[in-house]
Amino acid sequence: MSIRLENVHKSYKLHGGSSKAVLRGVNAVFAKGEAVGILGRNGAGKSTLLRLISGVEYPEAGRIHREMSISWPLGHAAAMHYSISGADNARFIARIYEKPIAETVEFVEGFAELGQYYRQPVRTYSSGMMTRLGLALSLAVDFDCYLLDEVVAAGDSRFAERCRAALLDRRARSTMLMVSHQAETVRAFCTSGAVLKDGRLTRYEDLDQAIAAYHAG
Amino acid sequence: MSASVAGPVDWGRALRIQFRVLGALILREMSTRFGRENLGYLWLFAEPLMLGSAIGALHLVTGHGLPGGLHVLMFWVTGYVPFYMFRSVINRSPTSVLANQSLLYHRRITLLDIMVARNLLEGGAVMGTLAIFLAAFGMALDLWPKQPALVVFGMMALLAMSHGAGLMLAAGAIYTDLIDRVIHLITYITMPFTGAFFMVFWLPTDLQHQALLIPTVHCFELIRHGLFGTAVPTTYDIGYMVAWIIGLNLAGLLTLRIARRRLVV
Repeated sequence: MSIRLENVHKSYKLHGGSSKAVLRGVNAVFAKGEAVGILGRNGAGKSTLLRLISGVEYPEAGRIHREMSISWPLGHAAAMHYSISGADNARFIARIYEKPIAETVEFVEGFAELGQYYRQPVRTYSSGMMTRLGLALSLAVDFDCYLLDEVVAAGDSRFAERCRAALLDRRARSTMLMVSHQAETVRAFCTSGAVLKDGRLTRYEDLDQAIAAYHAG
Repeated sequence: MSASVAGPVDWGRALRIQFRVLGALILREMSTRFGRENLGYLWLFAEPLMLGSAIGALHLVTGHGLPGGLHVLMFWVTGYVPFYMFRSVINRSPTSVLANQSLLYHRRITLLDIMVARNLLEGGAVMGTLAIFLAAFGMALDLWPKQPALVVFGMMALLAMSHGAGLMLAAGAIYTDLIDRVIHLITYITMPFTGAFFMVFWLPTDLQHQALLIPTVHCFELIRHGLFGTAVPTTYDIGYMVAWIIGLNLAGLLTLRIARRRLVV
Protein backbone atom coordinates (compact mmCIF):
# COMPACT_ATOMS: atom_id res chain seq x y z
CA MET A 1 0.00 0.00 0.00
CA SER A 2 1.41 3.36 -0.96
CA ILE A 3 0.71 6.79 -2.37
CA ARG A 4 2.56 7.53 -5.60
CA LEU A 5 2.97 10.91 -7.24
CA GLU A 6 4.09 10.86 -10.85
CA ASN A 7 5.29 14.08 -12.44
CA VAL A 8 2.66 16.19 -10.69
CA HIS A 9 2.28 19.76 -11.93
CA LYS A 10 0.09 22.53 -10.55
CA SER A 11 -0.15 26.22 -11.25
CA TYR A 12 -2.66 28.82 -10.21
CA LYS A 13 -4.18 31.61 -12.23
CA LEU A 14 -3.40 35.03 -10.87
CA HIS A 15 -5.46 38.15 -11.27
CA GLY A 16 -4.54 39.76 -14.54
CA GLY A 17 -4.33 36.51 -16.48
CA SER A 18 -0.82 35.34 -15.66
CA SER A 19 -0.25 32.12 -13.77
CA LYS A 20 2.19 30.92 -11.13
CA ALA A 21 3.66 27.42 -11.29
CA VAL A 22 3.65 26.01 -7.77
CA LEU A 23 4.56 22.37 -8.40
CA ARG A 24 6.73 21.54 -11.40
CA GLY A 25 7.00 17.79 -11.63
CA VAL A 26 6.78 16.21 -8.19
CA ASN A 27 7.66 12.51 -8.01
CA ALA A 28 7.38 10.61 -4.76
CA VAL A 29 6.33 7.35 -3.15
CA PHE A 30 5.01 7.31 0.40
CA ALA A 31 4.74 3.78 1.78
CA LYS A 32 2.58 2.46 4.60
CA GLY A 33 4.04 3.14 8.02
CA GLU A 34 6.21 6.05 6.95
CA ALA A 35 6.17 9.34 8.81
CA VAL A 36 7.55 11.92 6.44
CA GLY A 37 8.28 15.52 7.29
CA ILE A 38 8.05 17.77 4.25
CA LEU A 39 10.00 20.96 4.77
CA GLY A 40 9.50 24.08 2.72
CA ARG A 41 9.62 27.85 3.00
CA ASN A 42 6.46 29.95 3.01
CA GLY A 43 4.92 29.78 -0.43
CA ALA A 44 6.92 26.73 -1.50
CA GLY A 45 3.70 24.83 -2.25
CA LYS A 46 3.35 22.72 0.89
CA SER A 47 -0.38 23.25 1.28
CA THR A 48 -0.91 22.80 -2.44
CA LEU A 49 0.87 19.46 -2.25
CA LEU A 50 -1.37 18.30 0.61
CA ARG A 51 -4.50 19.46 -1.22
CA LEU A 52 -3.53 17.49 -4.31
CA ILE A 53 -2.67 14.35 -2.33
CA SER A 54 -5.97 14.58 -0.45
CA GLY A 55 -7.80 14.89 -3.77
CA VAL A 56 -9.66 18.09 -3.04
CA GLU A 57 -7.84 19.71 -5.97
CA TYR A 58 -6.61 18.07 -9.16
CA PRO A 59 -3.13 18.24 -10.70
CA GLU A 60 -2.82 19.88 -14.11
CA ALA A 61 -0.53 17.17 -15.32
CA GLY A 62 0.77 13.97 -13.82
CA ARG A 63 -0.99 11.36 -11.73
CA ILE A 64 -1.56 10.52 -8.10
CA HIS A 65 -2.16 6.86 -7.22
CA ARG A 66 -3.79 6.27 -3.89
CA GLU A 67 -3.85 2.78 -2.43
CA MET A 68 -5.01 3.82 1.01
CA SER A 69 -7.62 6.04 2.56
CA ILE A 70 -6.26 9.55 3.06
CA SER A 71 -7.44 12.23 5.46
CA TRP A 72 -8.21 15.80 4.41
CA PRO A 73 -5.34 18.20 5.19
CA LEU A 74 -5.52 18.72 8.93
CA GLY A 75 -4.74 21.90 10.70
CA HIS A 76 -7.00 24.41 9.05
CA ALA A 77 -10.73 24.70 9.39
CA ALA A 78 -11.27 22.89 6.10
CA ALA A 79 -13.74 20.05 5.77
CA MET A 80 -16.03 21.47 8.44
CA HIS A 81 -19.38 23.17 8.25
CA TYR A 82 -19.52 26.46 10.04
CA SER A 83 -23.25 26.84 10.30
CA ILE A 84 -23.81 23.58 12.19
CA SER A 85 -22.45 22.45 15.57
CA GLY A 86 -19.37 20.34 16.24
CA ALA A 87 -21.64 17.47 17.24
CA ASP A 88 -23.58 17.76 13.98
CA ASN A 89 -20.28 17.74 12.10
CA ALA A 90 -19.41 14.51 13.92
CA ARG A 91 -22.75 12.99 12.91
CA PHE A 92 -22.17 14.02 9.31
CA ILE A 93 -18.69 12.48 9.26
CA ALA A 94 -20.03 9.27 10.83
CA ARG A 95 -22.69 9.00 8.12
CA ILE A 96 -20.28 9.67 5.27
CA TYR A 97 -17.58 7.27 6.46
CA GLU A 98 -19.89 4.55 7.76
CA LYS A 99 -19.02 4.88 11.44
CA PRO A 100 -21.43 4.30 14.33
CA ILE A 101 -23.00 7.71 15.00
CA ALA A 102 -23.32 7.68 18.81
CA GLU A 103 -19.74 6.44 19.34
CA THR A 104 -18.34 8.97 16.89
CA VAL A 105 -20.14 11.88 18.54
CA GLU A 106 -18.87 10.70 21.93
CA PHE A 107 -15.28 10.16 20.75
CA VAL A 108 -15.05 13.59 19.11
CA GLU A 109 -16.52 15.26 22.20
CA GLY A 110 -13.93 13.57 24.40
CA PHE A 111 -10.95 14.27 22.17
CA ALA A 112 -11.68 17.81 21.03
CA GLU A 113 -12.53 19.10 24.53
CA LEU A 114 -14.82 21.86 23.35
CA GLY A 115 -17.07 21.87 26.40
CA GLN A 116 -20.36 23.63 25.78
CA TYR A 117 -19.15 24.82 22.38
CA TYR A 118 -19.53 21.28 21.05
CA ARG A 119 -23.26 21.96 20.70
CA GLN A 120 -22.78 25.45 19.23
CA PRO A 121 -22.24 26.38 15.57
CA VAL A 122 -18.63 25.97 14.45
CA ARG A 123 -18.52 29.57 13.26
CA THR A 124 -18.43 30.66 16.92
CA TYR A 125 -15.21 28.67 17.54
CA SER A 126 -11.72 30.06 17.95
CA SER A 127 -9.17 28.83 15.40
CA GLY A 128 -7.62 26.55 18.02
CA MET A 129 -11.01 24.97 18.70
CA MET A 130 -11.54 24.39 14.98
CA THR A 131 -8.16 22.69 14.74
CA ARG A 132 -9.04 20.42 17.64
CA LEU A 133 -12.43 19.57 16.17
CA GLY A 134 -10.88 18.83 12.76
CA LEU A 135 -8.30 16.54 14.23
CA ALA A 136 -10.83 14.74 16.42
CA LEU A 137 -13.12 14.21 13.41
CA SER A 138 -10.32 12.72 11.33
CA LEU A 139 -9.14 10.46 14.15
CA ALA A 140 -12.72 9.22 14.50
CA VAL A 141 -12.70 8.15 10.84
CA ASP A 142 -9.43 6.24 11.30
CA PHE A 143 -7.69 6.92 7.98
CA ASP A 144 -4.71 4.94 6.64
CA CYS A 145 -2.83 8.16 5.94
CA TYR A 146 -2.90 11.47 7.78
CA LEU A 147 -1.99 14.75 6.12
CA LEU A 148 -0.88 17.24 8.73
CA ASP A 149 -0.20 20.91 8.65
CA GLU A 150 2.28 22.24 11.18
CA VAL A 151 -0.41 24.15 13.10
CA VAL A 152 -1.61 20.83 14.48
CA ALA A 153 1.60 20.55 16.44
CA ALA A 154 1.73 24.22 17.29
CA GLY A 155 -1.57 24.91 19.10
CA ASP A 156 -1.75 25.12 22.86
CA SER A 157 0.77 22.78 24.40
CA ARG A 158 -1.47 20.37 26.28
CA PHE A 159 -3.55 19.59 23.23
CA ALA A 160 -0.44 19.41 21.05
CA GLU A 161 0.86 16.77 23.43
CA ARG A 162 -2.33 14.68 23.27
CA CYS A 163 -2.42 15.08 19.55
CA ARG A 164 1.18 13.89 19.30
CA ALA A 165 0.36 10.87 21.47
CA ALA A 166 -2.68 9.96 19.36
CA LEU A 167 -0.76 10.27 16.12
CA LEU A 168 2.32 8.42 17.34
CA ASP A 169 0.02 5.66 18.55
CA ARG A 170 -1.26 5.28 15.01
CA ARG A 171 2.04 5.65 13.28
CA ALA A 172 2.75 1.94 13.40
CA ARG A 173 -0.32 1.19 11.26
CA SER A 174 -0.74 4.40 9.33
CA THR A 175 1.18 6.77 7.11
CA MET A 176 1.79 10.35 8.10
CA LEU A 177 2.79 13.29 5.94
CA MET A 178 3.50 16.51 7.74
CA VAL A 179 4.38 19.82 6.12
CA SER A 180 6.19 22.52 8.03
CA HIS A 181 8.64 25.34 7.66
CA GLN A 182 10.19 24.44 11.02
CA ALA A 183 12.61 21.55 11.44
CA GLU A 184 11.80 21.17 15.15
CA THR A 185 8.09 20.52 14.53
CA VAL A 186 8.87 17.82 12.01
CA ARG A 187 11.45 16.19 14.26
CA ALA A 188 8.86 15.52 16.95
CA PHE A 189 6.62 13.50 14.60
CA CYS A 190 8.59 12.15 11.68
CA THR A 191 11.20 9.51 10.89
CA SER A 192 12.23 10.61 7.42
CA GLY A 193 12.20 13.86 5.54
CA ALA A 194 11.79 15.66 2.25
CA VAL A 195 12.39 19.18 1.03
CA LEU A 196 9.99 21.04 -1.26
CA LYS A 197 11.84 23.71 -3.19
CA ASP A 198 11.37 25.37 -6.57
CA GLY A 199 8.32 23.20 -7.23
CA ARG A 200 10.18 19.92 -6.78
CA LEU A 201 10.33 17.43 -3.94
CA THR A 202 13.54 15.75 -2.81
CA ARG A 203 13.28 12.76 -0.47
CA TYR A 204 15.92 11.91 2.17
CA GLU A 205 16.06 8.58 3.97
CA ASP A 206 17.41 10.28 7.03
CA LEU A 207 15.52 13.11 8.68
CA ASP A 208 18.70 14.91 9.76
CA GLN A 209 19.91 14.89 6.17
CA ALA A 210 16.67 16.50 5.07
CA ILE A 211 16.92 19.14 7.76
CA ALA A 212 20.52 19.87 6.82
CA ALA A 213 19.59 20.19 3.14
CA TYR A 214 16.64 22.44 4.05
CA HIS A 215 18.84 24.79 6.09
CA ALA A 216 21.55 24.74 3.41
CA GLY A 217 19.03 25.74 0.72
CA MET B 1 -9.45 -2.72 3.07
CA SER B 2 -9.47 0.68 1.51
CA ALA B 3 -12.02 1.64 -1.11
CA SER B 4 -9.38 2.84 -3.52
CA VAL B 5 -7.34 -0.37 -3.68
CA ALA B 6 -7.18 -1.59 -7.25
CA GLY B 7 -9.17 -4.74 -7.93
CA PRO B 8 -12.64 -5.78 -8.95
CA VAL B 9 -15.12 -3.04 -8.22
CA ASP B 10 -17.64 -3.98 -5.56
CA TRP B 11 -20.79 -2.42 -7.00
CA GLY B 12 -22.92 -3.29 -4.01
CA ARG B 13 -20.56 -1.44 -1.70
CA ALA B 14 -20.22 1.48 -4.11
CA LEU B 15 -23.98 1.82 -4.29
CA ARG B 16 -24.32 1.64 -0.51
CA ILE B 17 -21.72 4.40 -0.06
CA GLN B 18 -23.52 6.47 -2.72
CA PHE B 19 -26.81 6.26 -0.85
CA ARG B 20 -25.13 7.02 2.48
CA VAL B 21 -23.45 10.07 1.02
CA LEU B 22 -26.66 11.38 -0.55
CA GLY B 23 -28.58 10.77 2.66
CA ALA B 24 -25.97 12.55 4.77
CA LEU B 25 -25.86 15.47 2.32
CA ILE B 26 -29.63 15.86 2.36
CA LEU B 27 -29.72 15.86 6.16
CA ARG B 28 -26.90 18.37 6.24
CA GLU B 29 -28.55 20.61 3.66
CA MET B 30 -31.68 20.61 5.79
CA SER B 31 -29.83 21.57 8.95
CA THR B 32 -27.66 24.24 7.30
CA ARG B 33 -30.58 25.81 5.44
CA PHE B 34 -33.19 25.71 8.13
CA GLY B 35 -31.48 24.90 11.39
CA ARG B 36 -33.48 23.87 14.39
CA GLU B 37 -34.82 27.30 15.29
CA ASN B 38 -38.56 28.14 15.17
CA LEU B 39 -40.25 26.14 12.40
CA GLY B 40 -37.01 24.37 11.51
CA TYR B 41 -37.35 21.86 8.70
CA LEU B 42 -40.98 22.85 8.17
CA TRP B 43 -39.67 25.92 6.34
CA LEU B 44 -38.93 23.53 3.52
CA PHE B 45 -42.67 23.43 2.84
CA ALA B 46 -43.62 26.75 4.39
CA GLU B 47 -41.89 28.91 1.80
CA PRO B 48 -43.48 27.48 -1.37
CA LEU B 49 -46.74 27.09 0.53
CA MET B 50 -46.87 30.79 1.45
CA LEU B 51 -45.73 32.02 -1.96
CA GLY B 52 -48.14 29.71 -3.77
CA SER B 53 -51.04 30.83 -1.58
CA ALA B 54 -50.18 34.49 -2.09
CA ILE B 55 -50.00 34.20 -5.87
CA GLY B 56 -53.22 32.18 -5.96
CA ALA B 57 -55.04 34.59 -3.67
CA LEU B 58 -53.88 37.58 -5.72
CA HIS B 59 -55.36 36.18 -8.92
CA LEU B 60 -58.52 35.05 -7.16
CA VAL B 61 -59.09 38.61 -5.89
CA THR B 62 -58.31 40.34 -9.20
CA GLY B 63 -60.77 37.82 -10.62
CA HIS B 64 -59.97 37.27 -14.30
CA GLY B 65 -61.71 34.27 -15.79
CA LEU B 66 -59.58 31.68 -17.55
CA PRO B 67 -60.14 30.07 -20.97
CA GLY B 68 -61.69 26.65 -20.70
CA GLY B 69 -63.33 27.53 -17.40
CA LEU B 70 -60.29 26.51 -15.33
CA HIS B 71 -60.51 27.26 -11.64
CA VAL B 72 -58.53 30.45 -11.09
CA LEU B 73 -56.98 29.51 -7.76
CA MET B 74 -56.07 25.99 -8.84
CA PHE B 75 -54.59 27.13 -12.16
CA TRP B 76 -52.27 29.75 -10.67
CA VAL B 77 -51.19 27.69 -7.69
CA THR B 78 -50.45 24.60 -9.77
CA GLY B 79 -48.54 26.79 -12.23
CA TYR B 80 -46.63 28.70 -9.64
CA VAL B 81 -45.57 25.81 -7.38
CA PRO B 82 -43.76 23.80 -10.11
CA PHE B 83 -42.27 27.04 -11.39
CA TYR B 84 -40.98 27.73 -7.89
CA MET B 85 -39.12 24.40 -8.00
CA PHE B 86 -37.68 25.16 -11.45
CA ARG B 87 -36.54 28.62 -10.37
CA SER B 88 -35.05 27.45 -7.05
CA VAL B 89 -33.01 24.71 -8.68
CA ILE B 90 -31.76 27.05 -11.41
CA ASN B 91 -31.11 30.11 -9.23
CA ARG B 92 -29.31 28.16 -6.51
CA SER B 93 -27.08 26.18 -8.85
CA PRO B 94 -24.35 28.79 -9.47
CA THR B 95 -23.69 29.26 -5.73
CA SER B 96 -23.91 25.59 -4.83
CA VAL B 97 -20.27 24.86 -5.59
CA LEU B 98 -18.86 27.76 -3.62
CA ALA B 99 -21.25 27.22 -0.72
CA ASN B 100 -20.34 23.55 -0.44
CA GLN B 101 -16.77 23.25 -1.54
CA SER B 102 -15.55 22.34 1.93
CA LEU B 103 -17.45 19.08 1.38
CA LEU B 104 -15.01 18.19 -1.36
CA TYR B 105 -12.36 17.58 1.29
CA HIS B 106 -14.12 14.24 1.67
CA ARG B 107 -13.13 12.24 -1.37
CA ARG B 108 -16.33 10.25 -1.24
CA ILE B 109 -18.33 13.38 -2.01
CA THR B 110 -18.40 14.63 -5.58
CA LEU B 111 -19.82 17.85 -7.01
CA LEU B 112 -22.52 15.75 -8.62
CA ASP B 113 -23.47 14.31 -5.20
CA ILE B 114 -23.83 17.84 -3.85
CA MET B 115 -26.05 18.90 -6.74
CA VAL B 116 -28.17 15.74 -6.67
CA ALA B 117 -28.73 15.99 -2.91
CA ARG B 118 -29.77 19.64 -3.12
CA ASN B 119 -32.12 19.14 -6.01
CA LEU B 120 -33.70 15.98 -4.59
CA LEU B 121 -34.42 17.92 -1.42
CA GLU B 122 -35.84 20.85 -3.36
CA GLY B 123 -37.91 18.55 -5.57
CA GLY B 124 -39.19 16.53 -2.63
CA ALA B 125 -40.17 19.64 -0.71
CA VAL B 126 -42.01 21.23 -3.63
CA MET B 127 -43.75 17.99 -4.57
CA GLY B 128 -44.85 17.67 -0.95
CA THR B 129 -46.16 21.22 -1.08
CA LEU B 130 -48.03 20.55 -4.31
CA ALA B 131 -49.58 17.46 -2.72
CA ILE B 132 -50.77 19.59 0.22
CA PHE B 133 -52.35 22.12 -2.16
CA LEU B 134 -53.99 19.43 -4.27
CA ALA B 135 -55.42 17.71 -1.20
CA ALA B 136 -56.77 21.07 -0.02
CA PHE B 137 -58.37 21.83 -3.42
CA GLY B 138 -59.85 18.36 -3.46
CA MET B 139 -61.37 18.65 -0.04
CA ALA B 140 -62.48 22.28 -0.23
CA LEU B 141 -63.50 22.58 -3.88
CA ASP B 142 -63.89 18.94 -4.89
CA LEU B 143 -61.28 19.49 -7.61
CA TRP B 144 -59.19 16.32 -7.50
CA PRO B 145 -56.41 15.71 -10.04
CA LYS B 146 -57.74 13.54 -12.85
CA GLN B 147 -54.54 11.51 -13.33
CA PRO B 148 -52.16 12.05 -10.38
CA ALA B 149 -49.48 9.83 -11.98
CA LEU B 150 -49.13 12.31 -14.86
CA VAL B 151 -48.70 15.18 -12.39
CA VAL B 152 -45.88 13.28 -10.67
CA PHE B 153 -44.33 12.40 -14.03
CA GLY B 154 -44.46 16.02 -15.18
CA MET B 155 -42.93 17.25 -11.92
CA MET B 156 -40.12 14.72 -12.12
CA ALA B 157 -39.44 15.64 -15.74
CA LEU B 158 -39.30 19.34 -14.82
CA LEU B 159 -36.95 18.56 -11.93
CA ALA B 160 -34.67 16.46 -14.14
CA MET B 161 -34.61 19.22 -16.76
CA SER B 162 -33.80 21.91 -14.18
CA HIS B 163 -31.15 19.64 -12.67
CA GLY B 164 -29.36 19.19 -16.01
CA ALA B 165 -29.37 22.93 -16.68
CA GLY B 166 -28.29 23.49 -13.07
CA LEU B 167 -25.24 21.26 -13.54
CA MET B 168 -24.10 23.42 -16.45
CA LEU B 169 -24.70 26.61 -14.50
CA ALA B 170 -22.71 25.23 -11.56
CA ALA B 171 -19.86 24.32 -13.91
CA GLY B 172 -19.95 27.77 -15.49
CA ALA B 173 -19.91 29.43 -12.09
CA ILE B 174 -16.52 27.78 -11.41
CA TYR B 175 -15.14 29.87 -14.27
CA THR B 176 -16.94 33.15 -13.74
CA ASP B 177 -19.08 34.99 -11.17
CA LEU B 178 -21.07 36.38 -14.05
CA ILE B 179 -23.35 33.32 -14.08
CA ASP B 180 -24.65 34.02 -10.60
CA ARG B 181 -25.02 37.73 -11.36
CA VAL B 182 -27.26 37.25 -14.41
CA ILE B 183 -29.17 34.06 -13.64
CA HIS B 184 -31.71 35.73 -11.36
CA LEU B 185 -32.46 38.27 -14.07
CA ILE B 186 -32.79 35.54 -16.66
CA THR B 187 -35.19 33.38 -14.63
CA TYR B 188 -37.25 36.50 -13.95
CA ILE B 189 -37.44 37.63 -17.57
CA THR B 190 -38.12 34.16 -18.93
CA MET B 191 -40.86 33.48 -16.38
CA PRO B 192 -43.73 34.19 -18.83
CA PHE B 193 -42.24 31.80 -21.41
CA THR B 194 -41.77 28.72 -19.22
CA GLY B 195 -45.32 27.55 -19.63
CA ALA B 196 -46.14 27.96 -15.96
CA PHE B 197 -48.72 30.67 -16.51
CA PHE B 198 -50.30 29.95 -19.89
CA MET B 199 -51.63 26.98 -21.76
CA VAL B 200 -50.67 26.15 -25.30
CA PHE B 201 -54.28 26.03 -26.52
CA TRP B 202 -54.74 29.68 -25.55
CA LEU B 203 -52.26 30.72 -28.22
CA PRO B 204 -52.76 31.27 -31.97
CA THR B 205 -51.52 28.32 -34.05
CA ASP B 206 -48.18 29.80 -35.17
CA LEU B 207 -47.34 30.85 -31.60
CA GLN B 208 -48.25 27.36 -30.41
CA HIS B 209 -45.49 25.90 -32.57
CA GLN B 210 -43.00 28.34 -31.17
CA ALA B 211 -44.12 27.77 -27.58
CA LEU B 212 -43.69 24.03 -28.04
CA LEU B 213 -40.01 24.55 -28.83
CA ILE B 214 -39.53 25.53 -25.20
CA PRO B 215 -38.85 22.29 -23.29
CA THR B 216 -40.43 23.34 -19.96
CA VAL B 217 -43.74 24.06 -21.72
CA HIS B 218 -44.10 20.31 -22.32
CA CYS B 219 -43.63 19.60 -18.58
CA PHE B 220 -46.29 22.11 -17.59
CA GLU B 221 -48.73 20.82 -20.21
CA LEU B 222 -48.14 17.29 -18.93
CA ILE B 223 -48.79 18.39 -15.34
CA ARG B 224 -52.02 20.10 -16.46
CA HIS B 225 -53.14 17.05 -18.36
CA GLY B 226 -52.78 15.17 -15.06
CA LEU B 227 -54.64 17.87 -13.17
CA PHE B 228 -57.50 18.76 -15.49
CA GLY B 229 -57.72 15.64 -17.65
CA THR B 230 -59.59 16.31 -20.89
CA ALA B 231 -61.50 19.32 -19.55
CA VAL B 232 -59.06 21.46 -21.55
CA PRO B 233 -56.82 20.46 -24.47
CA THR B 234 -53.16 19.85 -23.59
CA THR B 235 -50.27 19.49 -26.00
CA TYR B 236 -46.97 17.88 -25.24
CA ASP B 237 -44.41 15.51 -26.74
CA ILE B 238 -42.83 13.14 -24.24
CA GLY B 239 -40.06 12.19 -26.67
CA TYR B 240 -39.07 15.84 -27.14
CA MET B 241 -39.15 16.41 -23.38
CA VAL B 242 -37.04 13.34 -22.58
CA ALA B 243 -34.54 14.23 -25.31
CA TRP B 244 -34.01 17.63 -23.66
CA ILE B 245 -33.63 16.02 -20.24
CA ILE B 246 -30.99 13.60 -21.51
CA GLY B 247 -29.19 16.28 -23.53
CA LEU B 248 -29.07 18.80 -20.68
CA ASN B 249 -27.92 16.20 -18.17
CA LEU B 250 -25.18 14.79 -20.40
CA ALA B 251 -23.92 18.30 -21.16
CA GLY B 252 -24.15 19.12 -17.46
CA LEU B 253 -22.16 16.06 -16.39
CA LEU B 254 -19.49 16.79 -18.99
CA THR B 255 -19.07 20.47 -18.19
CA LEU B 256 -19.05 19.81 -14.45
CA ARG B 257 -16.36 17.18 -14.88
CA ILE B 258 -14.19 19.56 -16.88
CA ALA B 259 -14.72 22.43 -14.46
CA ARG B 260 -13.98 20.26 -11.40
CA ARG B 261 -10.37 19.82 -12.53
CA ARG B 262 -9.66 23.50 -12.30
CA LEU B 263 -11.65 24.21 -9.17
CA VAL B 264 -9.52 25.92 -6.52
CA VAL B 265 -10.80 25.00 -3.07
